[in-house]
Amino acid sequence: MMRKGVEAVLLLSLLFFTSHAKATRFSPPGKPALTRCRSPEKETFTCWWEPGSDGGLPTTYALYYRKENSETVYECPDYHTAGENSCFFNKNDTSIWVNYNITVVATNALGSTFSDPVDIDVVYIVKPNPPEKVTVSVMEDKGWPFLRVSWEPPHKADTRSGWITLIYELRVKLEGEDEWEMHLAGQQKMFNIFSLRSGGTYHVQVRCKPDHGFWSEWSSTSYIKVPDYFHREKSVWILITVFSAFIFLILTWLLHMNSHSLKHCILPPVPGPKIKGFDKQLLKDGKSEDVFSALVVSDFPPTTSSNYEDLLVEYLEVYIPEEQELTLEESKDLHDSCLKSEGSTSDNDSGRGSCDSHTLLMDKGEAKEGERQTDQEESQTEAQRQQKDWDEEELTYTHEDMVSPDMSSGRVKTWPSVFSPLPQYTLSPLVQRSSLEMAKQHCLSDSMFPPSSTSSYLIQPGNSTKEALGPSHWEFSLSNKQPQLLHPKTQAHSDINISSIGHKQTPVSLQSPALRRTEYVEVQRVNEEDMVLLQPIVCGEGCPQMRQAEDYSKVRGVDSDNRLLLQREVAKEEVDMCPYEDQEADGATESCYTSSDINTNQKPPACSYTATPVQDNRTLPASGYVDTATMFTLPTY
Amino acid sequence: MEAKWTKRMKKRTRKRSDDQQIRSKRKAMAHRRTSGSKLLMTVLYMVASCSAVPISDLLDRASQGSDKLHSLSTTLTQVLDSHFPPIGRVITPRPSTCHTSSLHTPNDKAQALQVSESDLLSLARSLLAAWVDPLVVLSASVNTLPHPAQSSISNKIQELQQHSKSLGDGLDIISGKMGPAAQAISTLPYRGGNDIGQDKISKLINFHFLMSCFRRDSHKIDSFLKVLRCRAAKMQPEMC
Repeated sequence: MMRKGVEAVLLLSLLFFTSHAKATRFSPPGKPALTRCRSPEKETFTCWWEPGSDGGLPTTYALYYRKENSETVYECPDYHTAGENSCFFNKNDTSIWVNYNITVVATNALGSTFSDPVDIDVVYIVKPNPPEKVTVSVMEDKGWPFLRVSWEPPHKADTRSGWITLIYELRVKLEGEDEWEMHLAGQQKMFNIFSLRSGGTYHVQVRCKPDHGFWSEWSSTSYIKVPDYFHREKSVWILITVFSAFIFLILTWLLHMNSHSLKHCILPPVPGPKIKGFDKQLLKDGKSEDVFSALVVSDFPPTTSSNYEDLLVEYLEVYIPEEQELTLEESKDLHDSCLKSEGSTSDNDSGRGSCDSHTLLMDKGEAKEGERQTDQEESQTEAQRQQKDWDEEELTYTHEDMVSPDMSSGRVKTWPSVFSPLPQYTLSPLVQRSSLEMAKQHCLSDSMFPPSSTSSYLIQPGNSTKEALGPSHWEFSLSNKQPQLLHPKTQAHSDINISSIGHKQTPVSLQSPALRRTEYVEVQRVNEEDMVLLQPIVCGEGCPQMRQAEDYSKVRGVDSDNRLLLQREVAKEEVDMCPYEDQEADGATESCYTSSDINTNQKPPACSYTATPVQDNRTLPASGYVDTATMFTLPTY
Repeated sequence: MEAKWTKRMKKRTRKRSDDQQIRSKRKAMAHRRTSGSKLLMTVLYMVASCSAVPISDLLDRASQGSDKLHSLSTTLTQVLDSHFPPIGRVITPRPSTCHTSSLHTPNDKAQALQVSESDLLSLARSLLAAWVDPLVVLSASVNTLPHPAQSSISNKIQELQQHSKSLGDGLDIISGKMGPAAQAISTLPYRGGNDIGQDKISKLINFHFLMSCFRRDSHKIDSFLKVLRCRAAKMQPEMC
């Protein structure tokens, strides 16, 4: 019946319009189109259409639908509930799992136009309403805030019976941001959001969707402000800072209290020199004269120039054991002892500083030697000189406690043992000389003789030769015209060119031990070139005879390292005073010489005990000493 | 019916704890299968070993399976729609001519909520059973389907068959728990023959028509099971 009615209307309208054919601007309406149909709860649905052009005339729209099983055409029951251009199907008119064939007709005076039919099934067009009663609250989880969002399904959707199953989704963003953070909540109606920013304001929205349908619109935004939790964190940090400051103060105080012991641990005090008789308190008081007066030997340094000679006590004792090359070993030992004293680790106290300076002096002496280019590089002269240096040095220090005679080793720890008898003597030149002698002798002989004999030996000649040796020594020293003589040290250096100073009497006394043999050379004169000419002391039968072999008394030159290079000398020297040489058939060897052709810097060449011939030509070792031990063969007497 | 229902459920809840251990063992064996069949196989084993699994869980599993089934069919329909001849709109058979239309199903919510659980389950099982044969026909004829996405369609048809089978098995188990009324299944024979058409157009049209019928029926199954789930989960309102 409805259809007939529609047809009637159409015919009438056509007649009406055709009778008024003058309507040129008017036209039948345009074709409407069904835009969409939606069901919010799977119980009702609404269809909307888009009208076409109206053709200039008032147009009416009608929606007609037909269900799948029947041919009956129905018209939309409700055009108004859903608004303009809509058709609302209520519960009674809605059937599910049934195809609807819907058509919209636009009608105006000139005609009507049908839209394209649309087939829909209500179950496929479900789009629920947004979730309702969205609540957001700030909650706390172990001091950290989080948002709790809860909502309810749209009141129309019947989820209780299971007719509609909804799944939810929510989105969150901070105020001012553009990006939303999406969260799928599934079927639950509550959701927690963590990792919030303190003090921020959040926007929250929720929407839902049926299991097979369309997403709903977003719910209205809910605003929530997260309170500031910064203060709580801050208080924790403040506590931590206070505690750490407190602990730091305690540690500082402890450190301060124990600063001394800590200093001792970390930086142990460097031992300083201790000098017998040196009063620190006097020094602090500022009276330097008193301080030094305690140390200074009254005669040392000698204030009068006439006493220079006193310092130049030099005599060389050559001990030639029967089947050994004593000189070699002496020099060697001296050498070694000199070196040894450098490296000897004394178990005395810090007084060893003098030992170090001792070696320094020795080094100086070596350098100076090299410069001189004397031919006296025989080690014994050097040894003598150095010994003299040592002696001088040691006199400045007067240590008693330096006695650490390491006699057992057989090596010469010269200077401690040298000074062991020192306290017995007063500070007199003679004593010095004797001590020097002793030192020398000790140095020389120590390695060769058992300690016991050595010690005894030491004292003996010293005493006996005290007087006797004196003048000979001093004579020697007098001849030296060097300005350097003023300086005792230098004097010692310069004068040490004298290799050996002999005394007639000394051999006698020195020879008191059966094992010893010494040769003595005395100074004859100093020539114009400041060379000391030595004269061997004529000795009797006791004098050992030297075997002539080769000698290395001639200095070839000085190499770059300030080493004196000796060369084998075959020709007889100018000055040759060694008595035993005369005895030798071979006149090639000299014991002491200073060849005139040897240029020296003013230092009289030292001739030492070269009674033993030189065997091979050797360069000086790096220390500057001539290792005569290897150079000389032992003479046999 | 309601009292019996609740009594049964209370009995099952008591023995729940024992099932937990056995359940975990069984789960390991079902990894090979697809998710839907996996679920239902697990259900099978659980039920076979001990019949104290609460029906709400079973229905929950079943409704998940039916949801998946419907989603697959919807996807397949949309794929077919993308390459549908315009004339098909005109000559496509009416949905009322689906072979399952003879089954009387509720047409609105009021009617649906009045149906009993057993009947709902029976309807679901009947519908599912009615599509076993047509799906076979469809899978056989998809190879000759003149569609650009033919391989994709073929895969989906295979999936549909598997899901349908597993869901059917699960529903059988559930029906066993629900009493004899749930066991009744209406047979809905498919009379479309062994092929879906001779020429391209008819093939496409018939295929599309069958898929649309299946889509609706799968939606019905899904709806019924979800209603059943909500009814069984009285103790767990959050499920609905």
